[in-house]
Amino acid sequence: MAPARRRPFSTSIVDGPNLSEILDLGQRGLDHSGGAYHFQSVLKQIATLLLAAAWLNLCQAADPERSVIQIFTFAQQPIWDAPWRFDAVRRMGGSGFVIKGKRIMTNAHVVSWGRQIIVRRYQDPRPYVAEVEYIGHDCDLAVLSVQDEHFFENLEPLELGDLPKVRSAVVTYGYPAGGEEISYTRGVVSRIEMETYAHIGNRRLLTCQTDAAINPGNSGGPVIQDDRVVGVAFQGMAGLENAGFFIPTTVIEHFLKDIEDKRYDGFPFAGIRLMPLQNPAYRSYLKLPDNDLGARVDGILPIPSTEKMLHFDDVLMRIGEFPVASDGTILYHGNRVSSALAFQWAQANECVPVQVWREGHQVDVSLPVVAYQGDRAAGYQYDSLPRYLVYGGLVFTPLSLDYLRTLGRNTPEISIGESYYELYYKKFEDPTNARPEPIVLASVLADSVNANLRVRGRTLVDRINGTRVNQLEDVVKALENSTNDFDLLEFLPRDSFETLDHAEVTKANSRILKTYGISKDRRL
Amino acid sequence: MKSLLLLVTILFISALCGQGQESKRAQPSPWEKSVVSLEVSRRQYDYYQPWTRKTSRVQKTGILLDGRQILTTADELFDRTLVRLQKNGRGRWYSGEVTWIDYYANLALVTTSEEGFWNGLKPATFGGSVSEEASLQILRWREGNLENRRAEFTQYTVREGQLAALNVPVIEADSDIQNAGWGEIVTANSHVVAILSSQEGRMCTSIPGPFIQSILDARQKDRYHGLGYFHFYWQGAQNPASLARLKLTGDPRGAIVSSVPPRPDGLDPVIRTQDIILNIDGHDLDIQGDYVDPEYGNMMLEALATRNKWAGDDVKMTIWRDGALTNIVYKLPKFDYSVSLVPAATFDHEPEYLILGGLVFQPLTDSYLQSWGSDWRRRAPFRLVYYRTEQPTKEEPALVLMSQVLPDPYNIGYQEQKCLVVDKINGRHISRLTDLREALDNPKNGYHVIEFAQSDSLRSIVLAAGDSEKEATTRILKRYGIDESYHFESKEKQEK
Repeated sequence: MAPARRRPFSTSIVDGPNLSEILDLGQRGLDHSGGAYHFQSVLKQIATLLLAAAWLNLCQAADPERSVIQIFTFAQQPIWDAPWRFDAVRRMGGSGFVIKGKRIMTNAHVVSWGRQIIVRRYQDPRPYVAEVEYIGHDCDLAVLSVQDEHFFENLEPLELGDLPKVRSAVVTYGYPAGGEEISYTRGVVSRIEMETYAHIGNRRLLTCQTDAAINPGNSGGPVIQDDRVVGVAFQGMAGLENAGFFIPTTVIEHFLKDIEDKRYDGFPFAGIRLMPLQNPAYRSYLKLPDNDLGARVDGILPIPSTEKMLHFDDVLMRIGEFPVASDGTILYHGNRVSSALAFQWAQANECVPVQVWREGHQVDVSLPVVAYQGDRAAGYQYDSLPRYLVYGGLVFTPLSLDYLRTLGRNTPEISIGESYYELYYKKFEDPTNARPEPIVLASVLADSVNANLRVRGRTLVDRINGTRVNQLEDVVKALENSTNDFDLLEFLPRDSFETLDHAEVTKANSRILKTYGISKDRRL
Repeated sequence: MKSLLLLVTILFISALCGQGQESKRAQPSPWEKSVVSLEVSRRQYDYYQPWTRKTSRVQKTGILLDGRQILTTADELFDRTLVRLQKNGRGRWYSGEVTWIDYYANLALVTTSEEGFWNGLKPATFGGSVSEEASLQILRWREGNLENRRAEFTQYTVREGQLAALNVPVIEADSDIQNAGWGEIVTANSHVVAILSSQEGRMCTSIPGPFIQSILDARQKDRYHGLGYFHFYWQGAQNPASLARLKLTGDPRGAIVSSVPPRPDGLDPVIRTQDIILNIDGHDLDIQGDYVDPEYGNMMLEALATRNKWAGDDVKMTIWRDGALTNIVYKLPKFDYSVSLVPAATFDHEPEYLILGGLVFQPLTDSYLQSWGSDWRRRAPFRLVYYRTEQPTKEEPALVLMSQVLPDPYNIGYQEQKCLVVDKINGRHISRLTDLREALDNPKNGYHVIEFAQSDSLRSIVLAAGDSEKEATTRILKRYGIDESYHFESKEKQEK
């Protein structure tokens, strides 16, 4: 199910000040291009005073808050069941910090779907426009650049530290909601574990939990220990008080190394389901000594290299330098964490040495790990706008978690169930028949050509004109290459169907697009 | 003289007052002699701990028919331990006995061998269908008085039954009665016209008299073999393009068959997808799949599977197939809970289970899923609920799941596993607990290898077979206060 419990922590103000209001302050102080001279003169004086005050503050400020950046993102998300449209622009508030190379590090969720990103320095009223240079949605990290060189003047990049110890003290820096000034909160590292990253929803990476208050707006801000960054604040958990989470430097450094080749590939994935192997009978059945080493491969994702090199009931004894315990964990800096971490040391497409116990013998395997994309639709998606086709007012779009979130509680359970099964279970249970990109009829834009259709959307598409629909291109081909008088559309479940008059639809298409203000009938 | 006059006046006024009081006293309703109360005690099972028992008690209403039979709904009569009857809304309770029950039709007949109960009672009769203008009354005994609530007729329609996913005719009516749906009697013009089966807000749903009467008559003539149904999916023909594609000539009409799953009785389905059903047993179908019922008015075609037709009966259909009219005869299959992959009900059967070294195995049934409470369709594990949409096959007629693990050193490492559907044990495919028991008799080299259905969760468990298994099971039963390591149906039923 969707990771509803965790929430990324940027502030979101739908009905807050608009873009011009936010920019007002800066323009009054710095824009010399308009207005009466007297007014300009006054503005200049105010601006000079403000800048001076800001500079004084900068000089007086103690490190490292001078390098902590306030971020405002004006974001606009697509509407997943009406994919040609966008939601209203939302102002998202977050934090970031300066790193080497004149860059700002922040969370991916702070800047996702950003139309414009504004960054502000510590106690400096001037807004600067920033751009996303690299973004890793799986690890919820992003690196921003600022074109205006002045932005980085007198700003020292913060250095990255090591993984903090549990119980050690940390301080979070950021611009959480509830005020305009920078905020500091002190706490200790409560635990270090693999956790689901809420921004993408279907990836687990190393996470530090702290009792330092991490609130909306803190996202992307540094967590500091001994003047070094030991993490990036990023999410909380509903129902847990005094618990915030930050991304440790282990993950940050992996991200920074990944983008060294000027491309972000993502965290690698072994593609296996590892289960504890603690029952003496199972260990004896696999001819393993009854000690605390080794976890069992219980499932393998359809990743060819993994399927080739690992087998069901293989026992992983060591991954890289880490011995694997019988509960499926490794010991990392004194913390017991899921052994999935051991695969995440590598970069995508590198090989990880794995010691395997197979049928009573030890086997050494060099396992290539990949940044798996096969389950992209099962997590939250960013950057790419949703694909769609509008044909005769019928809106076809790929099934995804983002689409499922648009379904209200009143959607018939049978429709939700079928889609949910197709998205989350089919590939495990029936991989040969699983569709690479299941397509849904999201909605029907009312028109005389479809007025007699009983189906009104929220339905999984099975076949069109006899062709099984495996991806959106199949819909396009089946409809556009048809020479029949009628288009036959079959849906799941229970094989309900509808018929369209092909010639009538061809005539109606442009009318429907015009009526509903859709500039293009497709995005493929 | 004045005193005498005053006395006469007082007596006269008193007499007048007395007459007034007499005239205000409510006349006893003739229904008091026909409407009776039933008290049902029954076992309740906790399917999450299938070895435990609770009891519950519910009060219902029944109506006396000819032949000393009291008609009520079947609801809450399952797993009964005691049924008692009471007349006049007060006084002693008489031991009752269920003489006939049909959960699919949601009807039951109850009687008593105690003669005293029948004294002063009068059988009621069923009326025909209800007209729109008819004034409906809902009757039941409450706190010693016959409660009589007005109800406003809304419509005859077809709905899923209260105890089975079977489409049957119902009356919908609006009333301010509270906590109804327990067999209350619906009357109009001195006749019983329905019995109430459920209530949601003000909407009262009841089983119509003609439907009840037709079942009782067929039963008397030994023609009733249970309710039948149409084992296919269809949709209306409102879309002219669909009719044109299927080349139907003449006016738009009929219902189009969209899916025909294999019949549970293995017979030829006779009907095919994309057939247009035009007429059933002489009733023309309109483009919504409705026909005009002589008693109920416009009704969905599903009602024709129960309109004086029962399981095993033939239904004549005129269909449009491949551009031509064809007549077919459709034999109605019997609706049965057990023909589903996940049986919808297990009435009058104690929950089955088998405990192996702390691993609890149970059949996957709706009763089990309902352990998640009233919102179980959303709260129970998604995958288990989704099995309800799948059809049983010869290879997979039913499902067994490992519902939970009772922690013990024997099963260490597995304690948190639960709700996993079993695929194989020791290489043998498992559909029923009997398969499972047989599979356990053949361990593999001293181990029980349990494989679960391929999904996103755990695939296999291995346990030691032999003495350690038996010792563990004995120890676990004692520790968790469970009397038996398994409970199955009777041997005859297993073999069947």
